[in-house]
Amino acid sequence: MTDNPETLWHQFDEERRRAASSKDAEALRIKYLGKKGPLSALLKTLGSLPPDQRKTAGEAINRLKARLEQAVEQLIAEFAEREADAALRADLPDPTLPGTVLPMGSLHPVTQIGLEVAAIFLSMGFFLAEGPEAEDEYYNFEALNVPKHHPARDMQDTFYLENGQVLRTQTSPVQIRTMEMIKPPFKMIALGKVYRRDSDITHSPMFSQMEGLVVGENVSMADLKGTLAAFAEKMFGRRPTRFRPSFFPFTEPSAEMDVQCIFCEGKGCKVCKNSGWMEILGCGMVNPRVFEAVEYDPEKYTGFAFGMGIERMAMQRFGIDDIRLLFGSDIRFLRQF
Amino acid sequence: MNILLSWLRDYIDIQVPPLQIADALMMAGIEVEAIHEPGKHLQKVVVGRILTRAPHPNADKLSLCTVDVGQAAPLQIVCGAPNCDPGAKVPTALVGAVLPSGFEIRVARIRGVESAGMLCSRKELGLGDDHSGLYHLPPEAPVGEDIVKALGMDDVVFTIAITPNRGDALSHLGIARELSALFNLPLHRNSLDDARGDGDIREQTAVTLEEPALCPRYGARIVRDVTVGDSPRWLRERLEKIGIRSINNIVDITNYVMMDIGHPMHAFDLDKLAEQRIVVRRAAAGEKLHCLDGVTRALDPSMLVIADARRPVALAGVMGGEETGVTAATRHVLLEAACFDPVTVRKTAKALAMTTDSSYRFERGTNIDNVPIALNLAARLIRELAGGRPVGGLLDAYPAPPPLRRIMLRTRRVARVLGVDLKPAQIETLLLRLKFEVSREGETLWVGVPPFRHDIEQEADLIEEVARLYGYGNIPATLPTLFSQPVLPTPLQRLTGQVRTAMVDQGFHEIITYSFIPTTIHESLREGPPLAIRNPLSEDQGHLRTSLLWGMIDALTRNIFNDEYDLRFFEIGRVFRPDASGFAREADHLCLGCAGPANPADWRHSKEPFDLYRMKGLLGRLGHLLPVEFEFARGNHPALHPARQLEISCQNRRLGVVGQIHPRFRTNKKLPEEWFVGELDLSALSQLKPRKRLMQPIPAFPAIRRDLAILLPKTATFQDVERIVREAGGEILEKCALFDVYEGKGIDPDKRSLALELRFRAKDRTLKEEEVQPKLEAMISQIATTLGGKLRE
Ligand SMILES: [Zn+2]
Repeated sequence: MTDNPETLWHQFDEERRRAASSKDAEALRIKYLGKKGPLSALLKTLGSLPPDQRKTAGEAINRLKARLEQAVEQLIAEFAEREADAALRADLPDPTLPGTVLPMGSLHPVTQIGLEVAAIFLSMGFFLAEGPEAEDEYYNFEALNVPKHHPARDMQDTFYLENGQVLRTQTSPVQIRTMEMIKPPFKMIALGKVYRRDSDITHSPMFSQMEGLVVGENVSMADLKGTLAAFAEKMFGRRPTRFRPSFFPFTEPSAEMDVQCIFCEGKGCKVCKNSGWMEILGCGMVNPRVFEAVEYDPEKYTGFAFGMGIERMAMQRFGIDDIRLLFGSDIRFLRQF
Repeated sequence: MNILLSWLRDYIDIQVPPLQIADALMMAGIEVEAIHEPGKHLQKVVVGRILTRAPHPNADKLSLCTVDVGQAAPLQIVCGAPNCDPGAKVPTALVGAVLPSGFEIRVARIRGVESAGMLCSRKELGLGDDHSGLYHLPPEAPVGEDIVKALGMDDVVFTIAITPNRGDALSHLGIARELSALFNLPLHRNSLDDARGDGDIREQTAVTLEEPALCPRYGARIVRDVTVGDSPRWLRERLEKIGIRSINNIVDITNYVMMDIGHPMHAFDLDKLAEQRIVVRRAAAGEKLHCLDGVTRALDPSMLVIADARRPVALAGVMGGEETGVTAATRHVLLEAACFDPVTVRKTAKALAMTTDSSYRFERGTNIDNVPIALNLAARLIRELAGGRPVGGLLDAYPAPPPLRRIMLRTRRVARVLGVDLKPAQIETLLLRLKFEVSREGETLWVGVPPFRHDIEQEADLIEEVARLYGYGNIPATLPTLFSQPVLPTPLQRLTGQVRTAMVDQGFHEIITYSFIPTTIHESLREGPPLAIRNPLSEDQGHLRTSLLWGMIDALTRNIFNDEYDLRFFEIGRVFRPDASGFAREADHLCLGCAGPANPADWRHSKEPFDLYRMKGLLGRLGHLLPVEFEFARGNHPALHPARQLEISCQNRRLGVVGQIHPRFRTNKKLPEEWFVGELDLSALSQLKPRKRLMQPIPAFPAIRRDLAILLPKTATFQDVERIVREAGGEILEKCALFDVYEGKGIDPDKRSLALELRFRAKDRTLKEEEVQPKLEAMISQIATTLGGKLRE
């Protein structure tokens, strides 16, 4: 044993380094700070010192004591934490066992695409309008500038109800109903089911359309192109679009918008029938006759309208080759979306 | 409609590649569905003349021919066809040729004899199905000439789809006119034929026009002493290449005129017309016409007919009658070219369920100026091709020629609609190219509409023409600058979105089923009379659905038959019911359908089944989306299990049902005994008044919890108990929750035990036991007297 605080500390420091567990640390405390330890022995030597040295020697011993106490506490705490952590790790779960099965459902692919399309237009300030699916002939045809005995009616084979109403062949009657209710300027879309008397691998007697209408005092065909090109970029990515003249009784001029085929990048493939383009939607400037039907002043207001089939977009997006799958409610199909 | 490039070149000297023509038409609004170049891949096949034929030395059915193909020496070719007659001219595939089937011609030894080519049938050239023998070419075909040229196959057929507004484009002249505008090329028209001939038609027939409103112009010419027979090759070929069958020279000529200038015509056998005259009138009730297609049709006064002195001889603008049609025996022909009212033609064709090339064109509008042009062209062709002698002059019943339509076009309006500043002169040039007449008054153009453009009725139509020719691609792309008021989603839209998300979170897959239901649907699924479809695709889709249940049960059933048993479906869709006056009243419904486990088994849990209470919970939580509190009562929906169903209502409105599917729909052992559906009227739900959500202060004082287990007769409901407990608990009863229901072992069979968790708390102080105990006692005694229940020991 030693009688010098300095050497005592060095000795402790040596032993501290060799400690490997909280048990070793505890043993150190007893050894150095215990009643039979060297610190007590040192203290006992104080009485034999001359009184003038006693004070400084006492202070040195007390400093050593405090230092030892702190060092031991720290050592014990360190080991305790390490050991607690090791105890926690003792029971390692198998991370590859499956998690508890909480059923996850899905939205129908047509709903998903419909919501996606709607979200793009809503973000541009459009609002979502509604209308009935069983319509009066007037709203589905006459008000949209399709007179009763016009060949344009051949473009859509219509379901008639026994009560004289029709199942809407397009979402366009919502345009009329909206214009009857509100005054321009506005930007609206309508999303919903439409019906045509047709059924095969690419035609369903019921399908979904999204319709859009913008009316204001100076809405131009350039605005139509800009709006729909912005939509196409969000929907299909940055790729070329083109507008071709077409015919719809309720728009004049009328157009169809194509976007470069997303499958072949315009080189031509089966999906785009080798044209390099995919037909996306029909559109045009609102025919002044439609404005007359809803008592808007065609001299004051101009506008554009557009309509697109949601199923076709869903089929393109997900590579679905038969439209009937969409209405077959087959869980093996639905689970994939 | 098929259009021939060589035919277009009668009118326009266009030399650009077919693909470029198709592209230009496409970008002008005329859709080209296909480009067919029949001779494109046929090379090294020439006209050969068979010089000699000898039997093959080693094969009975083969012949050994020498064939002159215009080379120094004839070829020796082995042939298996029966008709390889010496002197015949036949398509000869030379060595190196590849036939459309992919077969490549080589020098071959056939049964020991060398053969240096192949004599071909129509089928081998890809010209049809005829494989009965060699294709005998016309005698005038030059030996050695390329077969593509000899057969006129060096041509291009465009298959074109015309939108209903463009009746003017339904002919070669019409397409040529369009191309002339698009490529800015001149349109050639030969000098028009005249009406010269022998004698005076006015002395030989008469036209009585009784209905000028339905037939604004009717023209007739007579050609005498015709020889009805085959058409010459050029005419047959032109018609066949565009898919029109050659019939005889007279009929072919009328078809040719229609495809050439777009005007439908008809030819009558003059001798078969009673009194050899024409009356244009409405059909009389009870009249019939035996039409050219062999069908006898009953007529009515809404229909316009061409009649002779006695009876109808043609359905005006739709189809001729068989009795007065041209036959091999016809000597004198009366040609008809007329303009009929589009609506009348369409109504008649629809009423009789027929569409002809003629009705198709009249419905879309024909060029009234073409009446004499068509007649004179046809008369000349008959003279040239059928040896007829035209009678001089034409009868032209044309009581009121319409004035030239003039439409004002304002430059400013063009700019406003298109978003492009076009100069008046620029607009004028574009319109002139499209054969409009234009006169300018400063910024305003007065535009005369040619008689073939029935689709141009207003300024907007002209703006489209300007835009079309200017090119949609040249219009800039901008965004509208209008400010519109914000419009929020409707309550129904909001609710629908929330419900969709909630259902997906609960593991449900969305389905979309048809809005149609079968006419034979079980009574119990009908919920009142459905709306009927007048022209359904099938009986299976004869009615509109009044509820979503049928579609859901059908979807579950079909999946189970596919061995898929773990099913959670939802649908949000429209249902239709007649209102008091029979019109459709619509609502959006939510339907749930469940079969199999509610929670599938995994390695820690066994699976849990669906049952009525789980369904109740699923639907009940949807009320919290508003929020409102649903009430559930015993239901009586006939499609559901009579005991295991609940009716959902709220604020005195019936909102729907939920329950087990009635056992009668378990038509197959595969189907589960317990499968569930629920339906909720979202439209009605969205209109309910939501509960106000006001914050309650967070409790400041501790609560006292007591559990209460009560033994009750089964006839007493939980609601009965809850009502008593709440009443007796008063203000300090904060919570009353059911945590166990027990019946079975250890309990009287007509009793069950309900265990409640009760929590008491006061807002302003710490409750004392002594305050709670009397409440509990009151509850127990009230339950005993009212319900016959007691505390479970
Ligand atoms: Zn492609």
